[in-house]
Amino acid sequence: MALSTESNPMRWPAGPLEIALREKTKGFTAEKAEVLRNWLDPATLGILQGTPVNCLAVSWASGLAADADQQKALKPLIERGRQAGISFVGLIEGEANKPAALAAARAAGLSAVAMEGKAPADAGIPVIPRDAAAQMSWGAASRVLSISDGIWPGIPQDVNQAGGPTNLPWVDSNGAVLRIARAMAPGKGVWIEFDPPQQATALTADAYMLAVADPASYGARWVVSLDDGLRADLTAKKQPALDTWKKIAGMMAFFQEHKEASTYEAMGPLAVISNFAGDDWQRGEEAINLLPRIRQPFRVIARSRAAGASFDGLQAIYYLDPEAPSAALREKLIAFAKDGGILFVPSKWPNPEGPPAKAEPYLLFNVHTLGKGRLAVCKEEQPDVYDSVADIQNIISHRNDQLRLYNAPSMNFFYQTSAQGGKGVIQLLNYSRRPASDGPLFYVKQPHRLARLVSPELASPTELHWDPQEAGGSELSLPKISVYGAVELEN
Amino acid sequence: MKDELTRREMLLGAGALLTLPAFPAWGRAAVTAPTARVSVGRCMSYGPEVVPTLATMFDQLGGLDRLVRGKTVAVKINMIGVRSQRLGTAPMEETFWTNPVVIGGVVHLLGKAGACRIRVVEGPWSSAETLEEVMYSMNWKPQDILSAADNVEFENTNYLGRGKTYSRLMVPGGGLIYPGYDLNHSYADCDVFVSLAKLKEHAATGVTLSMKNVYGSTPITIYGEGAGVDEPSIRPHGGRGGVFHFARRMPSKSAPQQIDMSLPKDAGYRIPRIVAELCSARPVHLAIIDGVKSATGAETNYGGRPQAAINPGVLIAGTNCVATDAVAMAVMGYDPMVVRGTAPFASSDSMLQLGESLGIGMREMSRNEVVGVPVSQVVFSYSAVRDKILAAAAKKA
Repeated sequence: MALSTESNPMRWPAGPLEIALREKTKGFTAEKAEVLRNWLDPATLGILQGTPVNCLAVSWASGLAADADQQKALKPLIERGRQAGISFVGLIEGEANKPAALAAARAAGLSAVAMEGKAPADAGIPVIPRDAAAQMSWGAASRVLSISDGIWPGIPQDVNQAGGPTNLPWVDSNGAVLRIARAMAPGKGVWIEFDPPQQATALTADAYMLAVADPASYGARWVVSLDDGLRADLTAKKQPALDTWKKIAGMMAFFQEHKEASTYEAMGPLAVISNFAGDDWQRGEEAINLLPRIRQPFRVIARSRAAGASFDGLQAIYYLDPEAPSAALREKLIAFAKDGGILFVPSKWPNPEGPPAKAEPYLLFNVHTLGKGRLAVCKEEQPDVYDSVADIQNIISHRNDQLRLYNAPSMNFFYQTSAQGGKGVIQLLNYSRRPASDGPLFYVKQPHRLARLVSPELASPTELHWDPQEAGGSELSLPKISVYGAVELEN
Repeated sequence: MKDELTRREMLLGAGALLTLPAFPAWGRAAVTAPTARVSVGRCMSYGPEVVPTLATMFDQLGGLDRLVRGKTVAVKINMIGVRSQRLGTAPMEETFWTNPVVIGGVVHLLGKAGACRIRVVEGPWSSAETLEEVMYSMNWKPQDILSAADNVEFENTNYLGRGKTYSRLMVPGGGLIYPGYDLNHSYADCDVFVSLAKLKEHAATGVTLSMKNVYGSTPITIYGEGAGVDEPSIRPHGGRGGVFHFARRMPSKSAPQQIDMSLPKDAGYRIPRIVAELCSARPVHLAIIDGVKSATGAETNYGGRPQAAINPGVLIAGTNCVATDAVAMAVMGYDPMVVRGTAPFASSDSMLQLGESLGIGMREMSRNEVVGVPVSQVVFSYSAVRDKILAAAAKKA
């Protein structure tokens, strides 16, 4: 079966290479090795029946003696899987003999291999780039990219729960990386890999549901990875494990049913422009990580595409890279500001245009008047990223907020609209996996004809009531959400 | 905690304030604390009745003209707590924050009475945003307040703001925790200081009324968790808990430091004293408490506490903050004379008692004159609401 951007991948750890890779790791036991052996059994594919999973990622070559045995041992599994319409992706890692591994992959009928770095030109099989986000070859020929350094989403347990400077608790989310991926590689399928955290107690089903929802809400796919205990219990057909698996599959199915939203574009009054590469990666990624925490909706625009991108509907643009833009892009950015927008630029912006304007002294930006708009030049070469985005929000002002979220400290949200603008969806993720004491509440400046909440936690979509506000706009009160919900808006 | 109390605190707790020969300064202050007039008005909603009700109340206090004509007035409002965390669907201005209609009404009447400049001030939680921005983020219309009188302006007093330096205000008599405070210039650059508070409870100090409202005047660039060590930070970060509530760290060294480093690190000890000190260092000329709508249980939504949005339907105003808060406590169904160990001061000292000891005002109802609607007609028992919530929860469980 051919791999596509619609494929739903799952990590399928099984076989001698998997055992060889893991046997020297802490906590690896004979029981775990047995499960890895068991998952070679084609009968184990039965758990995939009726689920959206249609692609399995298997260890293929790692430069170990077990490589050949692995490829041989996987043969029955691959054959049975292919008959069932499942595609297989071989993971080539470490010091593997790549030409030999590629040849074996072609012979075994794998749909693709995934490996770090640049794909060999003569691979003869689709090669999925499999890299850390900061090193990803966004322009690679493959229709699918796999980000190898995703994080398990949630509220981090090993830091102060009091939260960060954003007033709200820190959350671990893959959202920033996936927003960047979508801007840098539009139209490509994006996979993201992360394994369950090692912990003494079993992970709950809602932890897995969030692991599915966090990437899926951004239009990406988690390479589903189950913990050892859950895999063992699934092999033994224990009911709690089967129930958890059913919920994981249910969350995946939900996003498949609502895949139209993945074609929508994120909206917001602010656009962040960067090349998101090299030294600029960390600053850009952190800015995009923090903007949702200060409740600032935004879009991401790849610098390479910015000159041709539409700035319609934007109030402000944050040009993030210290490197000056091309002459054409600079001209376009300045024109945007002169037309009434606010352009935020780094301290190295050469020869800032316009006379200085009055601004609060604490602000990290020197503000200049530029036509009908403003140019805001950062005062510091390496500013604190949180202070930067907070000041950007201060200067933009809340006056024209289209959306405001209340009662949801552990939630992130973002707003997307269809190409024609008639439909919109507010994606809402709860990283605490516990509903807050009060249900979330949205202020929406422009009321729509219809608002309904869809969520795998609800038996059916719930129509939401518009509560008009005296000062303008309306509020939507939502029922409590544990993991994920989406407010669909229609005009 | 009781082990940490000094003899003086124990005596105070026992209500032996007036028999403290060993502590003459406190004793003298208590005896000389002024009595005052407090007006109570019935006001069930934030509709058109707010302004006439306030106008009547101010008249009952002797009129605003004599207090503010030709003067610069600073109005400290209350917008404390994480703004995105409501109590249910009720907006902050109907639970924990001073309502913008009341703010606008007070500003309008101050202007009408001849105030030449009115500066609305507050230090919103951990933010350097302008007050307009905070109001916009809450779906308020700041223009309604700015246009309620001539020469109205806002200032976020969490940091230096528009001042060139911080203003040092010393506590008469030397203070209990700190000898003085460095505040935003707005608290010194005013002839009249108004505390426009909310009628609400407080998780640590029992109640938070016109006295406690002044606590939020302290800049978090000096007294916040992210304050500079030697000098004030440029930007405000964090809340005041680390410095004020629990003494986990000290204020910036540029500011007056704690008198005695061995003082208890208990919020119930520290906050009431800091409040009393602040009200002594920065006297409140007019205390106004918005009890039209409010919330029980705490000063903000903590989640999981027995809290409810309520409609006491009352406004309270007075020219003395201790007396006004005493009347407010009576309206809430509490005895203003109670001390630590009795609700609402279950685990804190009474800031009213401490204010009285510093000579700010009297909390005993019979020592002050209550005008307007009798307190008995507007009592709204906060503890009864809480009991009802707890009973309902118990029944559900």
